[in-house]
Amino acid sequence: MFEVMMYDGGVYRSAELYEMIEDVGGVVLQSTRSSQMLTVTMSIPGEDKPAMEVLCKSIGGEVKSVPLAGTEIAVVGCTLGRHHMPHPICDIAEQLRQYGSISVVMGLARGRGKATSQISKTEMDIIEEYDAAILMLGNFKQCIEAKRDLFKDIGIPMILVTGPMPEGLDGDCEAIIPGVGRKAERMRTTEERKKLEEIADKVDEVLRSKRKILEEDPLFVHPAELKKLLEEYEPVNMSLRPAPIVLHMDGLRVKIPLGENIDYFNTLEIYGRKLTDIARITESKINDGSTLIRIKTRSEVEDMDRLNGTEQ
Amino acid sequence: MEIEVTGTDEYGNEAYRTLLDTIMNDVGKAQIIEKVKLVLEPEIPMFIFSLKLVNEPGIKTIADAADFRSEGSELHMSISDERYAPQILSLLWKRYGRANVDQQTRFDILVHGGDEKEVSEMVVDTGEETKKEVIGALWRVLPEGIKARHNISEGSVITILATEEIVKPEMKEEAQRVHDSMKGAV
Repeated sequence: MFEVMMYDGGVYRSAELYEMIEDVGGVVLQSTRSSQMLTVTMSIPGEDKPAMEVLCKSIGGEVKSVPLAGTEIAVVGCTLGRHHMPHPICDIAEQLRQYGSISVVMGLARGRGKATSQISKTEMDIIEEYDAAILMLGNFKQCIEAKRDLFKDIGIPMILVTGPMPEGLDGDCEAIIPGVGRKAERMRTTEERKKLEEIADKVDEVLRSKRKILEEDPLFVHPAELKKLLEEYEPVNMSLRPAPIVLHMDGLRVKIPLGENIDYFNTLEIYGRKLTDIARITESKINDGSTLIRIKTRSEVEDMDRLNGTEQ
Repeated sequence: MEIEVTGTDEYGNEAYRTLLDTIMNDVGKAQIIEKVKLVLEPEIPMFIFSLKLVNEPGIKTIADAADFRSEGSELHMSISDERYAPQILSLLWKRYGRANVDQQTRFDILVHGGDEKEVSEMVVDTGEETKKEVIGALWRVLPEGIKARHNISEGSVITILATEEIVKPEMKEEAQRVHDSMKGAV
């Protein structure tokens, strides 16, 4: 059984860390270097965890648990205006990062107003690329309830973070966390920090139940295994973008254009199968610089084999 | 700064009291505001923000913010109100050139060839700018989607009425009523 953990420390002797991950057969999910500081999110066999913890301590770092590792979450605001951004959206996004997730912040083009708020199909498609999304709403109960259309048709787990507790929205989202609302300063007090942890814990809870559903019919290949393969491809390997590959619960986002690399994706093989047979590969709706890979489940692949009469 | 909030949403009332306080302190206008009255009715939606300034912002000249002493062709100035120091320096540079304006300390300036009468009459603040900044801060406090706005500004009282679609006459009457009550506020 693989376990996900995060090393948080300096770059000093980090080569030893990478070497040990490779030795135990683990995978680096995410490595972020900022000046002399380094955070490495890794997935390693459970039995090697104590040895890894000893190594991390001996090279001057610490080990943190990261319940949201391997997920990408969007934190959505009604607009990018200063009324809705940056507080507390950025605080929530940062809290999710501390829990191991890759989090992004986005604002809707016309999400403000009680009677005039709207969401476009493109915006909905972009939000659906993520594992889950948090929608940040404001301080008036009636305005929150009137904005139901912004999230009711989105097909991924939605978590609402609001000021007052709205009524009648329970069926349209996975969870509602009241007590935040619009703020003009950072969430620094003890109560506010606790609230941020409550939000991240709720996201964890929601994703756990999604993971349980996935486990009933597992993916044909684990995204981390595919990541290992994709890392060897030169355009990914040479990519200067932070996190050129981002893991999702049901696939991954590779930050290379699909159009320019279509031949590579068409010919890539994993476990003797073509990637195009075991995954759906599409261009990201954000821009053409990213490619989304959604891995099919085992039953889907078996079904496809039966239909094609090529059962293996 | 005294803040009075009336509204139909209890959570929103408290949240907007905090928002107004934080934003006014952030933009450095809290000390010039005496009282604020907020009427928050999100169900319509209608928001009335009315505030009374401590003093009506009037024209301020350099004489109001600095003391002078002439010695021959040189003018010694001592700035007494730090808020206007950047504007004073910039006006002097524009009129006499940087070579003739010597800032000896943070508040002491020596102007070579400076004329006391001319310098003392230079305008550093028209008062309009202050009002504009206060209105800008109020707009920042107002909900973003509530775009249809109507301003009333008389003397030291500024009132903003905001709604989402049509500004109705009865809304304007209500705003005027709040505005008038603020004019009499102590």
